[in-house]
Amino acid sequence: MAIVAGIDIGNATTETALARVEGRDITFLATGISPTTGIKGTLQNMSGLRSSLGMALEKAGFKRGQYGAVDVIRLNRAAPVIGDVAMETVTETIVTESTMIGHNPSTPGGVGVGVGTTISFDALSRAAPGDSVIPAVESIHDYAVVASEIAKALERGVNVTAAICQSDDGVLIENRLPSVIPIVDEVSAIERVPLGMRCCVEVAPPGRVVELLANPYDIATLFELSPEETKQIVPVARALVGNRSAVVIRTPLGEVKERRIPAGELYIIGPQGKRTVNVEDGAEAIQNTVVACYPVDNIFGQPGTNVGGMMERVRLTMSDLTGIQIGDVYIRDLLAVDTLVPQKVVGGVAGEFSLESGVALAVMVKTEELPMRKLAAAVSQDLGVKVEVGGVEADMAIRGALTTPGTKPPVAILDLGAGSSDASFMRTDGTVELTHLAGAGNMVNTIIASELGIDSMDLAESIKRNPLCRVESAFHIRQEDGAVRFFNEPIDASAYGRVALLHEGDFLEPLMLNNINVERIRSTRRKAKQEVFVKNSIRALEQVAPGNNVRLVDYVVIVGGSAKDFEVANMVTNALARYGIVAGRGNIRSTEGPRNAVATGLVLSSVQQ
Amino acid sequence: MQINPELLEKIVAEVLADLNGGTSRGSTAVAAPERVGGVKLTEKGQSARGTDPKEVVLAISPAFATTFKTTIIGIPLADVLRQVFAGVEEEGLHVRVIRVYHTADVAFMSHLAAKQSGSGIGIGILSRGTSIIHQRDLLPLSNLELFPQSPVIDLPTFRAIGRNAAKYAKGESPTPVPTNNDPMARPRYQGLAALLHNKEASFMDRSKAPQELSVSFE
Repeated sequence: MAIVAGIDIGNATTETALARVEGRDITFLATGISPTTGIKGTLQNMSGLRSSLGMALEKAGFKRGQYGAVDVIRLNRAAPVIGDVAMETVTETIVTESTMIGHNPSTPGGVGVGVGTTISFDALSRAAPGDSVIPAVESIHDYAVVASEIAKALERGVNVTAAICQSDDGVLIENRLPSVIPIVDEVSAIERVPLGMRCCVEVAPPGRVVELLANPYDIATLFELSPEETKQIVPVARALVGNRSAVVIRTPLGEVKERRIPAGELYIIGPQGKRTVNVEDGAEAIQNTVVACYPVDNIFGQPGTNVGGMMERVRLTMSDLTGIQIGDVYIRDLLAVDTLVPQKVVGGVAGEFSLESGVALAVMVKTEELPMRKLAAAVSQDLGVKVEVGGVEADMAIRGALTTPGTKPPVAILDLGAGSSDASFMRTDGTVELTHLAGAGNMVNTIIASELGIDSMDLAESIKRNPLCRVESAFHIRQEDGAVRFFNEPIDASAYGRVALLHEGDFLEPLMLNNINVERIRSTRRKAKQEVFVKNSIRALEQVAPGNNVRLVDYVVIVGGSAKDFEVANMVTNALARYGIVAGRGNIRSTEGPRNAVATGLVLSSVQQ
Repeated sequence: MQINPELLEKIVAEVLADLNGGTSRGSTAVAAPERVGGVKLTEKGQSARGTDPKEVVLAISPAFATTFKTTIIGIPLADVLRQVFAGVEEEGLHVRVIRVYHTADVAFMSHLAAKQSGSGIGIGILSRGTSIIHQRDLLPLSNLELFPQSPVIDLPTFRAIGRNAAKYAKGESPTPVPTNNDPMARPRYQGLAALLHNKEASFMDRSKAPQELSVSFE
């Protein structure tokens, strides 16, 4: 009789399966899970390993530190795969002179269209009767004063057609005026509004968007533009689409440009030589080039560009960790996903944001071999237990996954983790085909964070893992699927009226995101998962399936930390159903769900040796 | 740490004088129009629960803008009212003001305001500036937004309090009003705040129901 511990050190978690082995009989006692410390395959993994094993021992009725109770520890020969993710913004909107104010104050004043000449508020009292003017009001002026001055000017016969305000006073001024004029407020850099220029202000009724200023021909009509000038005004009109209020000012030199940032080129080296693709061309072009170069030997970025820096950073990290020469670190796969990144408009006058396009890149590095033997020796010395390095990770994962009821070879395993998506395929004769692809949970986090403008990766992780709801009163929430749920106890006041994440155990985590509603977060989250996990699942299966034909796979078992996600497994199941594949989340040993596949496989393989 | 002994003495003397001679002042100053620095508050009788979903109810403390003319840092209370009104109006709603006599605890004042509000959202402001945004279904001591440090609340904050209250009333999720945190506010102002509270509490009348006020700025 022997106690065997299978320990799987993954990118994100270290999992343990503890079992009693008697002859060929295996009784599983307990499992443990703990975050991986350091990059996998390095000596830093020690403390994560101890806590994972300790947890399993404790559950099995031993003491936490009673490592001596274990007779053999079996470690996985971790796939030497490490992923990294980065974002590149490829476009940028630049206003070279203040020609447009396209921001969306939540409460503009009045409604309608006003055309006139911009003047300072102080000059309003000097305007001649009959002039069409639009005052630009700084925040030092009180709304009551502004309203009375405008009213006085109107009375004198000055045609005040609209107003532009620095503070949030639009409705207040409007309510104090004898007639309705459009007022755009919250223009923070009002001093940059050029004075003495022809200007048009448009405020749409609530629930509508500007029509005139979003149409180049209407702008041409208002400002009497020539056909050539109309061509130049197109970016302005485009930038104003979807706003409730807008200002366009005609300046002699002003223009709005969409600039392409030179993000750099990628050089992908495959069996047929080197191919070049520009990151600006977007995810699809990059992915097509990667496929054309398959199997990829190495990938470089153009030196001196953002993407070049990213590729070198990955190499440097790997080389530092493993002690391998930087020249021997090979980037073997790359996944690109198009994203939208909210960026502040350069030169804007009201802190306008514009959604710029960007590309998220995940890369996967494969080294010769991680120093697992070194780690095994260290573990053995530290815990005083015999340590074996077990078989290849994919092999172990398949053995573990086959403990899921309802599976039999030939079977494919999709291991969706944090750093990489791995696939392996076992034929009836027991031979195994495997692949590692870049892009998994961490990339989803990066995309969510950049599209929603979040700084914290922990928050992005939380958004990825939990469904959303909106707290509608102190006692009820509306979930993202539209269902309403009531609570007997009042909901925490900090969540009132907010979009919140519904954690397990009905714990609500309110999100402090400005003006981002449930639908937007949900679609961002689902799109990111679709682009990364579903795309990668199909990409991975194409590589391991017999004859690269996904249809020839019958069973797919999804395992790994990301399979625990509340919707990823369903998305993949859905997508694979189109190929006639039985796909679903694994249930290791009928009890563990999609976790613990490799650790279980390690224990099982100890008997078959 | 600097404590101005003269100021302290002056306030103590004033409070003592009030405690000895002026206990009935709260109930004598009824119905007479009160004019303080640009705002006229007239009592219109007992306030009732409103039904208008466009209203935010603002509860002010017993001596707000009568005996007290400024907040703890000298902001005229008329301007405070004006900014809260402006913040709510900018969002398209309006304010109904009630004066609470039975308590000088801002949590219970604002909770009462929320319960009387047609939108379910109420604001409570003490004379020294301490404020709360409240919702009627919450418990009195668990509020939407609390502004506990009266010395750091300035006029833009009062405008933002009005704006956020109106946004809650509209069912939006506003970003909580950013406020400063001054670690020295406590040692500098705690004594003064306690005295101001005692003074305000002396104007309480536990048997008097909340009164609806009409407000006109001048």
